[in-house]
Amino acid sequence: MPSQVQGVLDALVASPPLQAYLIVGAIMFAIGAWGVLVRRNAVVIFMCVELMINGVNLTLVAFADFLPNAGGLGVSYAVLVLAIAAAEIAVGLAIVLAVFRSRRTVNVDEVTSMRG
Amino acid sequence: METVGQQLIITAIPALPALVFLVLALFGRVLGENAQYVAILGVTISLVFSVFALLFVAGIIPGGGAPIEFSKPWIDLGDGGVFSMGVLIDGLAAVMLVVVCFVSLMVQLYSGAFMEGDRRFSWFYAVINLFTASMLGLVLAPNFIQLYIFWELVGVCSYLLVGHWFEKASARDAAQKAFLVTRVGDAALFVGIIIFWSTTGSVGFEDISQAAQAGFVGGSLFTAAVVLVFVGAIGKSAQFPLHVWLPDAMEGPTPVSALIHAATMVAAGVYLVARTYDIFVQSPDAMLVVAYIGGFTALMAGTMALVKKDIKRVIAYSTVSQLGYMMLGLGIGSYTAGVFHLYNHAFFKALLFLCAGSIIYAMDSYNMFEMGGLRRRMPITFWAMVLGGLSLSGIFPFAGFWSKDAIVASAYEEHLYVLFAMALLTVFLTAFYIFRAIFVAFMGEPRTEAARNATESPGIMTGPMLILAFLSVVSGWVGIPEGFGLPIRDYFAAFVTPSDFATETLQLEEHAFSFLLGGVSVAVALLGIGVAYALYVQRPERSGALARRFAPVHTFLDKGWYFDALYGATFVRAASWLGRATLGFDRNVLGSLVGGVGRGAMGTGGLLQRLQGGGVQNYALFILLAVLVIGVIVGAQYAFLVVALVAVITIAAFAVGVKL
Repeated sequence: MPSQVQGVLDALVASPPLQAYLIVGAIMFAIGAWGVLVRRNAVVIFMCVELMINGVNLTLVAFADFLPNAGGLGVSYAVLVLAIAAAEIAVGLAIVLAVFRSRRTVNVDEVTSMRG
Repeated sequence: METVGQQLIITAIPALPALVFLVLALFGRVLGENAQYVAILGVTISLVFSVFALLFVAGIIPGGGAPIEFSKPWIDLGDGGVFSMGVLIDGLAAVMLVVVCFVSLMVQLYSGAFMEGDRRFSWFYAVINLFTASMLGLVLAPNFIQLYIFWELVGVCSYLLVGHWFEKASARDAAQKAFLVTRVGDAALFVGIIIFWSTTGSVGFEDISQAAQAGFVGGSLFTAAVVLVFVGAIGKSAQFPLHVWLPDAMEGPTPVSALIHAATMVAAGVYLVARTYDIFVQSPDAMLVVAYIGGFTALMAGTMALVKKDIKRVIAYSTVSQLGYMMLGLGIGSYTAGVFHLYNHAFFKALLFLCAGSIIYAMDSYNMFEMGGLRRRMPITFWAMVLGGLSLSGIFPFAGFWSKDAIVASAYEEHLYVLFAMALLTVFLTAFYIFRAIFVAFMGEPRTEAARNATESPGIMTGPMLILAFLSVVSGWVGIPEGFGLPIRDYFAAFVTPSDFATETLQLEEHAFSFLLGGVSVAVALLGIGVAYALYVQRPERSGALARRFAPVHTFLDKGWYFDALYGATFVRAASWLGRATLGFDRNVLGSLVGGVGRGAMGTGGLLQRLQGGGVQNYALFILLAVLVIGVIVGAQYAFLVVALVAVITIAAFAVGVKL
């Protein structure tokens, strides 16, 4: 087996470096943030929020794996974040439904009754 | 005074009226008009204890014979010394204790009828008792700090009592005037005390006197301090130029006037000078100031009383004048005569006020020209007032004669002829104005319906009047000079004596009683009565003609030498200008400042309000930007990188915002 092939195989089998996880997490977070800032549909905004949360979760899990001394603290944080995200989605979607019932729209630009 | 029991009895003299004040102030509503019995019980016990103190100091009770002195430390200043509270009863204080308690008792008996039906009956009695307690505390004080505390309490009580009928605007004004004018004197007294304290390190009368003798304080600073203390006495005793409050204080109920004028308030000034006599005699200049202020006040107030129509004001000016005599007596060195006059004056002045109150009770008018012919309607009041008037005029052998003659005679014998002339002229004026009031009120025909229907006051009012009338005649008999030829001792002069130190410093010659001077003074007084009789009984129309002929003089006297106008144009106007300026500063400068802060907050809020557009995504953008800013601050070493990132994201965000 040529060594180049062997190297590619090794690279595929070996776990990727920490930076890879972090970069993916940052990209997920950035996409999510961009979506939160620019999309108008409240449901899509929620989906983008989920993306941000999961980007953060990814970094937490990655750190947990690469820092054994932390004792799995990152994983337990990730579980906590998942639980809170679920609760947040439940409340958030309920609000979106209530807004839709009263206004027949989920466009956040039209929901500005909190203007000071 | 060794035993605790005796000390308790002495302490109870001022404490009992103070206790009565507390009881009446707390339970006055429940007690109603029964308050008078509580009050009279308290002051009677105080009187009994005072008499005990007098007999003890006089040596009639076994074991006594020396001044009562004890004190307890009150405020310990460490190295700065100790302020103590204590008691000093010598002959002077013992006599004053008895006089104050006695006059207060008479006034309280009398007030039961006079104030009947008053809305604040029990409060009136409460304050009268606080007044008495304050004066008794002042009399007992052995040091300046204790004296000053009670001195101020006396001022507060006079304010409360003069303004007792505060529904009347004039009573309110009079109360304020009394308080403010005497405050001027109080402030001066306080400065004097501070000078004494800072130079001698003590506030005790005896200590200061000895420190001054030892030379710790002297020269012009000492004279200034003594004169400042005297200014305090001027304010309280209504001497020129702070006499203006006393006539206005007639707005108070008449029994209060009797109390203020006889025992509690104005006597405090004279008492202060007598109490600190050892200090005063060390400054001949200050003594001269005392004598001339006294002599001038006596004459000035005498002229003011000549033309007053309000019977109470005539007596009020007479008080100012008589206090002038006392100051004159103390100033020229005849200590005993000055204090003797204070003692006699208490009885006949209380009597005159109670008589005036009796008339006012009967016909509800102060104006003597609305009276007339009251002699038949109110015989007891008439005769009591005549006795009081004779005593005030100094007719032999009434009480007033003995003390007044002693003062007038010693002015002559000290070769102070200006003061002697002033005093002698005042004798004439005194006899004239008091008998003018008596003749106008009681003789002739009734001038109004009220005077025709007047009836004699009830027994609870005439009783104290009769007792005081008796004392107005005989109180002076305890001080008949040895040289007079009667086989009795001069008890008063033996009992109330200046200290040996004062006697040595003054180096007065002993003068035997002068029959010539006594005769002259009585003759002048009789002349005054005679002129009053001629002008107001024989030919009443003459007095009116005289007033019209000398109209400017009459107005000048009636306005009280325009002192009120002068003070109104200077001090009152300056004070109200200052008040307006302060109000303007408060409104314009401070008000603008505070308002400006408020408006600034409002404006900032208005600006920030625009940021709150209600759009959720704007908020999210702010959050993101804020996080980035925090990141810049925290991660300062990557500042350049992060700033660039923030700029890129911001531009991108705005670009997106514009596009959408």
